[in-house]
Amino acid sequence: MLSIHQPDDLISISLHTILSYRKDEEFYNLVKDWNKKVVIHIKPFYPVTVIFERDEIRFERGDQKADLKVIMELDGMLDLAYGRKGLVSVFLKGKMKIKGMYKLGAVLKFKKIFMTSMKMVAKDPNLDYFNVPTK
Amino acid sequence: MYSKLVEIFGKENVSNKQVDLYPYSYDATENEAHMPDYVVIPENKDQLVELVKFCNEHVIPIVPYISGNNLGGLTIPLKGGIMCDFSKKMNRILHINENMMYVLLEPGVTFGQLKKYLDENHPGLRYSYPNSPPYASVIGNAFLSGMTNMGTKIGSMGDSINGLEAVLADGTIARVGSCFYGKDEADPDSWWCRYPIPDLLGLFVNWQGMTGLITKAAIQLWPNLPFKQPFLAVFFGLTDVAPFMREVAKADIVDDVVGFSTEVAKMEIGIPDPKRYPEEPAYTAMIPISAKTEKMLEAKIEILRDITKELNNKGTNIHLIDYNEFSKLYHKKSRTIYDLPAVILSLYEKSGLAWVGTYCNSGKFEELIEKTDKLYEKYNVPPYVMLKIMKQGHYGIFRPIFRFNQFDKDDKKRIVDLMEDILDLCIDEGCIPYKTPVWMAAKMKEKINPGWLKLFDKIKKCMDPNGIFNPGRWDT
Repeated sequence: MLSIHQPDDLISISLHTILSYRKDEEFYNLVKDWNKKVVIHIKPFYPVTVIFERDEIRFERGDQKADLKVIMELDGMLDLAYGRKGLVSVFLKGKMKIKGMYKLGAVLKFKKIFMTSMKMVAKDPNLDYFNVPTK
Repeated sequence: MYSKLVEIFGKENVSNKQVDLYPYSYDATENEAHMPDYVVIPENKDQLVELVKFCNEHVIPIVPYISGNNLGGLTIPLKGGIMCDFSKKMNRILHINENMMYVLLEPGVTFGQLKKYLDENHPGLRYSYPNSPPYASVIGNAFLSGMTNMGTKIGSMGDSINGLEAVLADGTIARVGSCFYGKDEADPDSWWCRYPIPDLLGLFVNWQGMTGLITKAAIQLWPNLPFKQPFLAVFFGLTDVAPFMREVAKADIVDDVVGFSTEVAKMEIGIPDPKRYPEEPAYTAMIPISAKTEKMLEAKIEILRDITKELNNKGTNIHLIDYNEFSKLYHKKSRTIYDLPAVILSLYEKSGLAWVGTYCNSGKFEELIEKTDKLYEKYNVPPYVMLKIMKQGHYGIFRPIFRFNQFDKDDKKRIVDLMEDILDLCIDEGCIPYKTPVWMAAKMKEKINPGWLKLFDKIKKCMDPNGIFNPGRWDT
């Protein structure tokens, strides 16, 4: 059982929504005992350190010494989530940077944990319960 | 008295049992509870005529009640008497005129009921909805000059009333507005305007039920435009929200622009006691846009982006975000503030909910935000503030909100003290509280010009010589 702490700041709430979406075993196995710190900085907002420790995920505001630092523009993040652009395209446009890129294993795992979950949230028609017509 | 009421309404529609009366004695606000003596459930205006004649003769208070959701303690029966509950049986949608876009309805019709009815039967029309639950009354909101999610476009809901029918103190039934022709019932297609005759609606709008019992009213509807796009704006400077709202409203491109302190945005998704963190934006704003065509929508969005860019060039720090996309990744409860009418549960979770809701000079938004912020800080309370530009910039709404525990005297006292400080500040700045509780009206009266007060008293005495209609309101 994964324990994801409920944060109370604006950006961590969103990260919590994304990371608490999946309940499958694959996600649990990816996260459990990863024991890494990842700083996610969604611009124009502020950095949040996501701490994966044993079977817990915690959020702390601010930039800490971390295994990975992912900096992305909000519009780049929405492009990625809603499938308008791929990861490479977002990188090339300068809308995303990763510090610690050389830790390829960690980068790939973060992609599976965070990016995949984010896309799943964006794609889930059950979350379109409001059914508001968009542009 | 009981037998007279039974004679008028039937036994099943009258009660003086404590268990039936108790729910009418209080509301969520800071205002003290008071028990009524009877509750009646009317079904038609003939019963109301009988009731009013009887009460006027015997000087018995009548308090109109629909859902008790106002945040001014306005249906607490300060002098006891008879609660007249319109919500149970006088809740019919009587007529919709598609061409002139209005709905004729009884006082008990709720926002949820009207939305469902329009969606199912008149999808080309829409109403505008406040941040109220679906079970709140359409007429109650309109006659108390509530504001809605089209406030920036259309202004106060008091302006949207085309006409009404009311029972006066002597039992006369009066119809006001373009429906005034005819001795008996009016043609349902005649309720389209309140002008060019003397505007007698002013004898009822904002009077909090002190001048008569409204039995039906016609209220304007609006085209339900097919292309919609809501935006979220975030503001990192404390007062950046103010010029943005003013400029956007004047551009005539949005249905609404409503600002919230970030604490409100967090409270709405269920964070129990939101704290302010310095790195967070101070304010957010919701900006619904609708258009007849895709091109029109695109043009409006382009103007919105240009305004934001221009303001940022002048030094603000504002960011626009596609709300549909962001809200899905943020928190599903964040939709409740957009998909109105909705119950925002966190507003009620502490049992007490109150506001100093005011109409204001939108040129003073900056000053009001800064000064109120300091007062919230002084009392160690998160600054729950909502603001809105009305009628494309003609005036504004400044609305500090307060949650408290009704059953904790210290908590309630702390909040009431804070409310009083904020009220004093707002009145000093020329703001006018709406849905005004008695204690706020008493404070306002200290500053209102004597001529206005004399005219107010004369009209009240003329309309209600024996003081039977919702007595005690406005300190009467």
